[in-house]
Amino acid sequence: MKNKLVCHLIANYPDFDQSLKIAEALASGGAESIEVQFPFSDPSADGPYILKACDEALKAGFTVDKGFSLVESIIKKTKLDVYIMSYANILLTMGIEKFVKKSKASGVKGLIIPDLTLNNDDGLLNSGRKYGISIIPVLTLTTPLKRVDEILFREPEYIYAVLRKGITGKSTIITEENITFLKYLSGKKAKILGGFGINSRDQVKALTPHLYASVAGTVFVKKIDEGGEDILPDLKTMVKELTTDEL
Amino acid sequence: MKYKEYFGEFGGRYVAEVLRPSLDALEKEFLNIMDDEDFWTEYERLSEDFTGRPTPFLFAENATKKIGGAAIYIKLEGLANTGAHKINNALGQVLLAKRMGKKRIIAETGAGQHGVATAAACAKLGLPCTIYMGEVDIKRQRPNLFLMELYSAEVVPVSFGSRTLKDAVNAALMDWAGSFEDTHYLIGSALGPSPYPGMVKTFQSVIGKEVESKIYELNIDVEAMIACVGGGSNAIGFFSPFLEKDSPRLIGVEAGGTGIGEGEHASRMTGQGQKGIIQGYKSLFLANKDGQVLPTHSISAGLDYPGIGPELAHYGETGRIEYTSATDSEAVEALKFFAKNEGILFALESAHAGAKAIQLAADMPKDKAVIINMSGRGDKDIFITAKLLTPDKWINFMRNEVSEYEK
Ligand SMILES: Cc1ncc(COP(=O)(O)O)c(C=O)c1O
Repeated sequence: MKNKLVCHLIANYPDFDQSLKIAEALASGGAESIEVQFPFSDPSADGPYILKACDEALKAGFTVDKGFSLVESIIKKTKLDVYIMSYANILLTMGIEKFVKKSKASGVKGLIIPDLTLNNDDGLLNSGRKYGISIIPVLTLTTPLKRVDEILFREPEYIYAVLRKGITGKSTIITEENITFLKYLSGKKAKILGGFGINSRDQVKALTPHLYASVAGTVFVKKIDEGGEDILPDLKTMVKELTTDEL
Repeated sequence: MKYKEYFGEFGGRYVAEVLRPSLDALEKEFLNIMDDEDFWTEYERLSEDFTGRPTPFLFAENATKKIGGAAIYIKLEGLANTGAHKINNALGQVLLAKRMGKKRIIAETGAGQHGVATAAACAKLGLPCTIYMGEVDIKRQRPNLFLMELYSAEVVPVSFGSRTLKDAVNAALMDWAGSFEDTHYLIGSALGPSPYPGMVKTFQSVIGKEVESKIYELNIDVEAMIACVGGGSNAIGFFSPFLEKDSPRLIGVEAGGTGIGEGEHASRMTGQGQKGIIQGYKSLFLANKDGQVLPTHSISAGLDYPGIGPELAHYGETGRIEYTSATDSEAVEALKFFAKNEGILFALESAHAGAKAIQLAADMPKDKAVIINMSGRGDKDIFITAKLLTPDKWINFMRNEVSEYEK
């Protein structure tokens, strides 16, 4: 048996070609789908490793245009579903509707934009509906249930559940609180993605019954940070190890 | 609603869900204290005894004569305890945090003025505080770092991004996302997600109210009020009683830096500011065509920030507030001018307002008045100004200090 894992990577980190190879390595290890983060100069919901990687991706010349070509190449090479994760300003600057339209044209499945939330999204949800792109809300353990219900009322196809308080990159412990929260969510229609601080097979295994898929990112960024071509087979192995039920 | 969430299309609360509950709670408590007499009685008592309010309102007679135009008045906000207007907001928010039962304060700082004000207010009111400060700023602001630590604040270096003020805001937001249950984030300017812009304005509006009563008392015919604009807290507080009136002219002065090229200034309203959503609010920002924030420059660290408070951006678009900019060297000239002629030492930030006032007053009739908000005093800047104005003497002094120490 295999546990589903969405693998998160940062566009243009460490550079364009390598980030494409990283996506292929993650795919060959058995990633369920790929989440590509478009780096932003002032992210407010990333842990320190992702932050540093985004800084470097920007220094290495990331542009939104490059981001879309990367996404297109990833889709072409891996045939996997791809989601874009980024921040409000990247969308607003291009024009929110235009960004959504471009995502659709590039074959993107959905968008995860943590700082554009229900009733504060400048039309993102509507554009998503118009062009057939999933707008994936990001919920946390501390989101009041009333708000959760409000968000679910819009019938998102997916929801992203952050399984940790805060964003400082420490490991997430799967607590009773997490499971209760996930149970509440799983009573609803949306497919649940869960992540933040996922780095072990045991976590993925524990979460699998409650989720559509787990999401892991920082764990790969740490590996990529070590550098070199030979990280690619390592990444593949990591995905394998995270997703297999029995070793 | 007694405060606004949006100002035209600017403002709002563009934060990840993780921060929403804490902003909701803050908004609720803020609305509660707005008409809570006990709160304001305590705030006013501390403003008098601790901050030193009301701050003086000076007729700059020598400067006026020398320039030969409109009468120049200066609101000496920099004479407040800790040397700048920042204390008005710090005090208000620490009191609010205590009422909310918070056990810890976090804040960002650029130059260190807001950090110093926060650390002092926390020392006075007995809450521990952590101040985030970019590594670049730590290097150039050692004196303020020393003061914060003396007030027993913990200063945490921020090592990502451009390692300046905006990154310190990001670091504080990240801390808060995990700590909001017992921690209050004390933002230092009239920006960020609602309710911050409205709340900071409320605490800074004391500046404008004192000015307004002086205008009546002295019966002066004010043509223009002039303030420097970083994030915009001193300006919005100073302008607050007049925003809904047609007069006087309200003039915001941004950092013109060393030129109009990318990274040479921090002029959002007079430069190439574009619409953006950054750090939780929609406003005008200096960013590239992809929306990535651009580097900024100003001789004054307090104006060296890529965004502007949403209400100030809005009044810029409606035309109620006029924007202009002063360069680094114009600010330094104004600093010298007021020091020499008035015995008043402007902070470099405030000297930007002083510089524009000198130019404007010259073209105005004598029976009119202009009022400058001196948001801070310039003692904090001597490591910049002394090095600039008397380099040899200053470097000699520093050498001496070091060799004395090494003996
Ligand atoms: C003396 C002084 N004036 C002005 C500013 C700029 O901030 P604001 O525009 O919020 O008043 C600062 C910020 O550090 C300051 O220290």
